[in-house]
Amino acid sequence: MEISYKEEYVSMKLLLNLVYKDFKRNKVITITLTFFLMISTLFMAGGLRVTGTIISSMKGLNELAIPPQYLQMHKGDYDENVFKGFVENHEYINDSIIVKMLDIRNANIIYQGETLENSLMDNGFVIQNEGFDFLLNMNNDIVVVKEGEIGVPVYYAEDIGIQVGDTITLHEGNYTKNLRVSTIIRDSSMNAALTSSKRFLINQTDLDEISGHMGEWEYLFEFILEEGTSTAILEKDYIDANMPSNGVAITGSQLSIMNNLSHGLIALIIIAISILLIMIAVLCLSYIIKATLADENHTIGEMKAIGFPNKAIEKLYQMKYIVLVLIASVVGYMAAIPFGDFFSSSAVMYCGNGTDEWMKWIFPLIGVILLSIIVIFRCKKTIYKNLRSSVVELLKGNDRIKKEGHYSLPIAGLRHGNLSIALGELKCKWKEYVVIFFVFIFSSFLILLPMNMKNTVENPSFMTYMGVGESDIRIDIQYTDKLIEQKDAAISYLEGDPEIAKYAIYQNSYVELQNSDGEWEYLRVENGDGSIFPLEYIEGGAPKDTEEIALSYLNASELGKDVGDHITVSYGGEELLFTVSGIYQDITYGGKTAKANIDFEDKDVEVYIIYLDVMDGVDIEEKTLELRSILTDSKITPISKFVSQTLGGITDNLSVISGAAIVISLVLVMLITVMILRLITAREHSAIAIKKSIGFSNKDIRIQFAIRILLIQFVAIVVGTLLANTIGEVILGMILSFMGASEIQMLVEPIKSYLLSPAAQLFLVFITVIVGSKVVKGYHIRGQIME
Amino acid sequence: MIRVEEISKSFKDTKVLHEVSFDINRGDFVAIMGPSGSGKSTLLYSISGMDNINSGRVLFEGTNICEMKEEELSDFRLSKMGFVFQNPQMLKNLSVFDNIILPGLVAKKESAEEIRKRGSELMKRMEIEEIKSRDNSQVSGGQLQRASICRAMINNPEILFLDEPTGALNSEATDQVLKIVGRLNEDGMTIMTVTHDKRVAAKARKVLYIIDGQIAACKEFSVDTDREVELDEWLKGLQIIA
Repeated sequence: MEISYKEEYVSMKLLLNLVYKDFKRNKVITITLTFFLMISTLFMAGGLRVTGTIISSMKGLNELAIPPQYLQMHKGDYDENVFKGFVENHEYINDSIIVKMLDIRNANIIYQGETLENSLMDNGFVIQNEGFDFLLNMNNDIVVVKEGEIGVPVYYAEDIGIQVGDTITLHEGNYTKNLRVSTIIRDSSMNAALTSSKRFLINQTDLDEISGHMGEWEYLFEFILEEGTSTAILEKDYIDANMPSNGVAITGSQLSIMNNLSHGLIALIIIAISILLIMIAVLCLSYIIKATLADENHTIGEMKAIGFPNKAIEKLYQMKYIVLVLIASVVGYMAAIPFGDFFSSSAVMYCGNGTDEWMKWIFPLIGVILLSIIVIFRCKKTIYKNLRSSVVELLKGNDRIKKEGHYSLPIAGLRHGNLSIALGELKCKWKEYVVIFFVFIFSSFLILLPMNMKNTVENPSFMTYMGVGESDIRIDIQYTDKLIEQKDAAISYLEGDPEIAKYAIYQNSYVELQNSDGEWEYLRVENGDGSIFPLEYIEGGAPKDTEEIALSYLNASELGKDVGDHITVSYGGEELLFTVSGIYQDITYGGKTAKANIDFEDKDVEVYIIYLDVMDGVDIEEKTLELRSILTDSKITPISKFVSQTLGGITDNLSVISGAAIVISLVLVMLITVMILRLITAREHSAIAIKKSIGFSNKDIRIQFAIRILLIQFVAIVVGTLLANTIGEVILGMILSFMGASEIQMLVEPIKSYLLSPAAQLFLVFITVIVGSKVVKGYHIRGQIME
Repeated sequence: MIRVEEISKSFKDTKVLHEVSFDINRGDFVAIMGPSGSGKSTLLYSISGMDNINSGRVLFEGTNICEMKEEELSDFRLSKMGFVFQNPQMLKNLSVFDNIILPGLVAKKESAEEIRKRGSELMKRMEIEEIKSRDNSQVSGGQLQRASICRAMINNPEILFLDEPTGALNSEATDQVLKIVGRLNEDGMTIMTVTHDKRVAAKARKVLYIIDGQIAACKEFSVDTDREVELDEWLKGLQIIA
């Protein structure tokens, strides 16, 4: 029989009316459930919005800026004709440029009265490029600045708040040059905080003038290749041709990784959290549906008995949850807009909105639709399964009769009555607490994971993942004509300073190495006494003689080398055979470094790095300032700042994530406690009445509920803590393994992790139970017994 | 022992009890009868402290239980009185025996051993020893009701309140419960019960008849009469068919 539209409309209206009444009756549970669903949707949609924004932003920046696919830095002389010849002879090179960059020491760059000495960045001054690798303004237009003006990297706009209209002063000796900030620059090659160089854009006239008074020239040899050409081919040919290469070489994919890590990590984490939240929301939903259906067994039995078709009953219950999911989806999607924009603001600032802005609208929409489908499908399945009982079974309440089992009162009596009863009942009813148990585990895990990650990364011992043992201060003496004099001056000063406990100096240069494919590529090698600041090795140890070499983890992996294997490198036209003595972790320089006792020639040294420890009681910050005033040609950085700047956005993001995780977790913990408490007190209303009738007070009953829930939570916190320490370590290792650190030991701050965090969670739940169980007071014996 | 002074109770706008007053002396056995909806159970719950009243006083040994704090009321329910519901109300996660001794263990007025001993004795007296370790779902209604009486007795209460104790029982179980209730009163227990059943009421020495929330009539039996017959006549005299 066909149903008319009018009948369908009336039936829908009736259903919605019933749903509305049901919501009113179970306000707390409905609100809590809706909130759960909204939070899940918010995170899912928010994470996808961030993802869409980042993809669009980075794609847009790369499309407009056209970053190089291969970039070789070099200081010192080079023959331009040789370079041109190289380009002409290699047809796979589509385009090339030589970027002349004037490196100016941070001590000579002044903003608002402060130099940039605290910055780890190497700062270079360039004019706009031609052909590719364009520097863009905040509208992603190729920008050219006028005389007297300067374009400042967006990194500094974010880090120290430089704005258009501000003044940057370059000063050395008697020379001073003021430049007005006319634009903020987006640099597709050097945008990311993880890249250690930054470029300022100035006018040719200004560049000519400034170079006459300060700075050292550095050259960036940049290439765009024909489609399909591997950068490894170029790298090999470049080395074979003995092209200028005493600096870092970076491929386009490495640049991409650094950008992705800087901006993509947060999206990854938000989506990971959303997946967990969705799982919890679905678990909660299933539990609530089963609990509600169990409570309404009798009603459903009566409906079936008087002839209601199963489909109609299913529809009634499904409608309830469909309405909830729809509300949550709409609210979650809308709330994800500012949420996602907040977390992607950094990416937008660095890269712009991009050319595919539709992604930030469509990705979350798809996510929300998928989520809704999953949730509704889950609801349907649970409802269908629970409605299959026969009329008699429903009327008898056989579901309830399913044995919970029983517990025995202690033979010795009830010394701690409420505790004994709470434990006994928990033993019988543990299944009802599975959902809350998992939520508590998840919350504990969520609070601890970013907290522990942050603690690990901020710990001084994290230095060991940067290829060097723990130390207090680092001094970089970059290549210049006066490199040796600067180095000698530094050593001479350190030798005579009684506040210096110990120091070690390391040469850094490049050798050539044959990789596993037989191709030659550059290998960055550090030469120095590894015993002064000993490094933790994953395997083996430091090289002891001139025939041993230690490799970073990424290098060892890619070369397929283990301790004891041999490796041939080429330096100064000579082939040197080494035995791998050890493998260590290093996230600097793309994770690919080595240590060997190769005495490099002065002209080949890219940088001298000195690590030092100060005496006990000496303030590291003060010592740093003192050293900067004396060793004015060197870059001097406290190690703590070095680590945080090297990791760039990761540590900042971890702080935000850690704070957000604590808030989310505590809110979750509170919500689930309220919800479960409401459900359980409703289900046990008759037991509550019985207990009251035989002499238990309201206080006793509330204490029993509190014991049950707090005990569950305590166990969950222990489990969550174990998971955070174990799985957390794996997750952190996975994130940092891309950068070169494969075996991270999670460093836990015991007081925060093992005392404050559990105490905060337990306390919150305790308060929630006290407030939430007040409803027990309103249960009148007669009313509950009569029901 | 209990003095009820002009207690009134309303549910929403409906007055269920209207200025009811009476006394219960130690050792009394009082039955409350009346038509459905007359307020019998409400009266029982109100004077046993299981429900609130809107006005009036219920004095138990001079103390107004309506003004008792929640902790005092709990203690009253635990130690001074026992309550038996129409449908046996047991905690389903405890065995029958543990249900019976639970109030005793909670009260902690005696050792656990003594409580367990008394629980066993009560079960023996009620002839339900064999169901000691069983679940509630494994025993009959009559056995469970007797277990409820045991639980109500475990702390040697001063008064026993029974709400339709035989209402949910078959005739055999009813007889068993009747026998027990009668014996309890003979042993000195003060009992107040709500009942439709003339056989139960006939066990009592005083019957209060309630109509529309007020005591319409009161009957006190003398010792040697055939109470069932006398009750029947009295009820007929009230033009009520019980």
